[in-house]
Amino acid sequence: MMIAPQVVVTGAGSVSSIGATSSETWTALLGGQNGIRPVRGFDAGGFGRLFAAQVGDLTAENLGIHPRDARIMDLHSLMLMSAARQAYGAAGLADAGIAGDAIGFFAGMGMVDYEVDDILPAVLKSLGPAGVDYGRFYAGAYRDIHPLWPLSMLNNVTFCQVAIDLGIKGENAVFCPHADSGAVAITEAVGALCEERAEAVLTGGVSEKISPLSIARGLFAEILKRAPEEPGTVLGEGAAILCLENRASADRRGATYSVAVAGYGHCCAPRDDGTAPLPGAIAGAMSAALERASLQPKDIDVVIVHRDGTEQADKSEDEGLLSIFGDLRNLPVFSTKPAFGHLLAAAPAMDIVVATMMIERGIIPPIWSGKPAQQVRNVMVNCQSYEGQCATIIVQAVA
Amino acid sequence: MKRRVVVTGSGMITPLGRNCEETFTNASRGASGIDYITSFDTTGLPCRIGGEVKNEWLVGASDPAAARLDRFASRGFRLMATATREAALQAGIEDVSDRERVGVALGSHGENVPVSEMVALLRYYDGSRWDIRGLLKSRDYSPFQLFLRKPDTASSLLAMLFDCQGSNLSIVSACAAGAQAIGEACRIIQDDKADVMIAGGCEATLNFMGFIGFVLIKALTEKYVTPQTASRPFDRKRNGFVMSEGAGAVILEELAHARARGAVILGEILGYGSSADAYRITDTHPKAEGAFIAMTTALEDAALSPNDIEYVNAHGTSTLQNDLVESLAVKRVFGERAKSVPVSSNKSMLGHTIAAAGTIECVLTLMGMERSIILPTINHEFRDPKCDLDVVPNESRRVAHSRALSNSFGFGGQNACLCLGSFRE
Repeated sequence: MMIAPQVVVTGAGSVSSIGATSSETWTALLGGQNGIRPVRGFDAGGFGRLFAAQVGDLTAENLGIHPRDARIMDLHSLMLMSAARQAYGAAGLADAGIAGDAIGFFAGMGMVDYEVDDILPAVLKSLGPAGVDYGRFYAGAYRDIHPLWPLSMLNNVTFCQVAIDLGIKGENAVFCPHADSGAVAITEAVGALCEERAEAVLTGGVSEKISPLSIARGLFAEILKRAPEEPGTVLGEGAAILCLENRASADRRGATYSVAVAGYGHCCAPRDDGTAPLPGAIAGAMSAALERASLQPKDIDVVIVHRDGTEQADKSEDEGLLSIFGDLRNLPVFSTKPAFGHLLAAAPAMDIVVATMMIERGIIPPIWSGKPAQQVRNVMVNCQSYEGQCATIIVQAVA
Repeated sequence: MKRRVVVTGSGMITPLGRNCEETFTNASRGASGIDYITSFDTTGLPCRIGGEVKNEWLVGASDPAAARLDRFASRGFRLMATATREAALQAGIEDVSDRERVGVALGSHGENVPVSEMVALLRYYDGSRWDIRGLLKSRDYSPFQLFLRKPDTASSLLAMLFDCQGSNLSIVSACAAGAQAIGEACRIIQDDKADVMIAGGCEATLNFMGFIGFVLIKALTEKYVTPQTASRPFDRKRNGFVMSEGAGAVILEELAHARARGAVILGEILGYGSSADAYRITDTHPKAEGAFIAMTTALEDAALSPNDIEYVNAHGTSTLQNDLVESLAVKRVFGERAKSVPVSSNKSMLGHTIAAAGTIECVLTLMGMERSIILPTINHEFRDPKCDLDVVPNESRRVAHSRALSNSFGFGGQNACLCLGSFRE
């Protein structure tokens, strides 16, 4: 299916370690800032010296969330809420006269991890002379776990809280947990608009919260950077949400926009060691996106690469890029990960927020290629998981 | 013109049977798959029953391909692999040559955290500081636990097991996940991103941490005479759902693709609708707003009217709230016909398989159409005047039908509805 009625971005919102909004993030990117610091929020000394790009100063109180609702919200909930509200506001949906059931919502969610402190009282109450007495735990100590804690562990609850907050009742789905899930969310949103199953759709994703479990997961998977000279990724916290609409209906209500989603492609083929997709799969996703956008590789002005810093993932992507673009020496390549780490499910939407700024301002921020004042019309965004899923989305300037 | 999506294979493993045939046969005679839980000690819990799947029914070490992935495999994945093997064999998808056009859409939530994991972690946490080096050096804690918790582990393992190199998605919309997986897979085929999709859902929540979550939010039945009569959707004495485990799989295929390779067509996905209640995180919308939107959207997507629908496979969880709200939704959608359209709940026999439910119920609905049998709602003894629908009480009904809706409503307020049909040219 061609994307016949162009799907345009009429609003965006984001939260990252370098900015509480999209414009703050862009300004920080232009200033060459990055949000990567030693891990904070819990004593991570036991992990060794580790870094992450963490979001600061985001509280339920600041967002005006009722304490009753905040009981089952963690940082990932607040990030998604903030980004979604920004996008909803920027698109002017509150005054657009679009019914709640005509607004869709598709998002990628990072992992929702439990805090040991949530269950610690129940475990402590179960301690007997020989350690934890399961009989005590099963017979009643479990009641020391907050009754709503299980609800907060459901992967879709944060998503539903945002839908409640904004009155969104239309088509929806929530995918999990890596960058590809954020990309699937965006392409499913485009599909809903192309088939006119929604008038406007919020879509994007949110990362997981940096926690002992997220760090442990990264260490066990051997993906985390442990020293500056070593390969590896740096985890980041953040969320990004786009408001997408069909161009014709955006025009009818006088919404403003500068970019359209022109194409996308998805593939899945893991390396045997389960560390990254095969180069052919990454190339397949790029090739499908180019075909859908009716573009040639030479039409791409910038590639925002996945490039998470892990050896095999970077190697696979480089080989995939080589097979599509041939000579890479003149290909402007950009990565947001040196600035705000790996945002997992939030990464594709965040990269599209950055791509939109590049197209609007004609600037590639000085992180990698550092080429200012170049005309940017077509930006390719790549993303992938460690399990073999990969996706490409192309955004395009519209007059 | 939208690409038509047909079903060319189906599989399931449920408390009522090791495959589709066994489950359907047992359900058609009104059998219950619910019993006292044996997989963990339920002493002291207010609910001690569930729908367990027999271990010997699972894909095991006898399957070399599955054994290769064993260390990553959660119980949920084993259930899913078993159901998918049945579906894939029936559809013969190993014959499809372009594997980049074969994808996976799976409703799955990853494994629950076992108590033993929490206890192991606690040994290395003094309330403020983690001794990670000690944890890493110890053999108390398997790093694979972290992978078992990831929802996408099952979808990527499934892709490896059945060589699916196309779109791969993992959907986590609670009880709506199995139906949403089918709906999203359908969209992917309609959008020409794939020709074949494995779609389904799996759930293995019958362990202590998975179970007490639902005990704590008081969603499970606590008053029952026998396990077999505990799940009683639409009955006045219903008081909560019964947790079960299982998996369901369908092979969805673009019609021309299925025809070209001579696949047997089992039915068609005519339409799909999803919605959000946007009401309260702990309650469904009292006027059934979200359920109504999902059902009417599925009908619109299928270009059908309520008058074309001959059967509704209800979400029918046996909770006070769901059955009341779903009855209201049926009345809003069907108007005067509401009391004469058969509406039955498979959960009366199977219990609630959460992320698997939408797929299992989709398959049972298609099988019912093919055999002209509407499965019953068992344990219907005390009529609830507020749920005054034709719930096909206690005995299956022999009636030809070819168009149906299948409802799935998730915790938090995510809803999905599939419009299903027997295949017509």
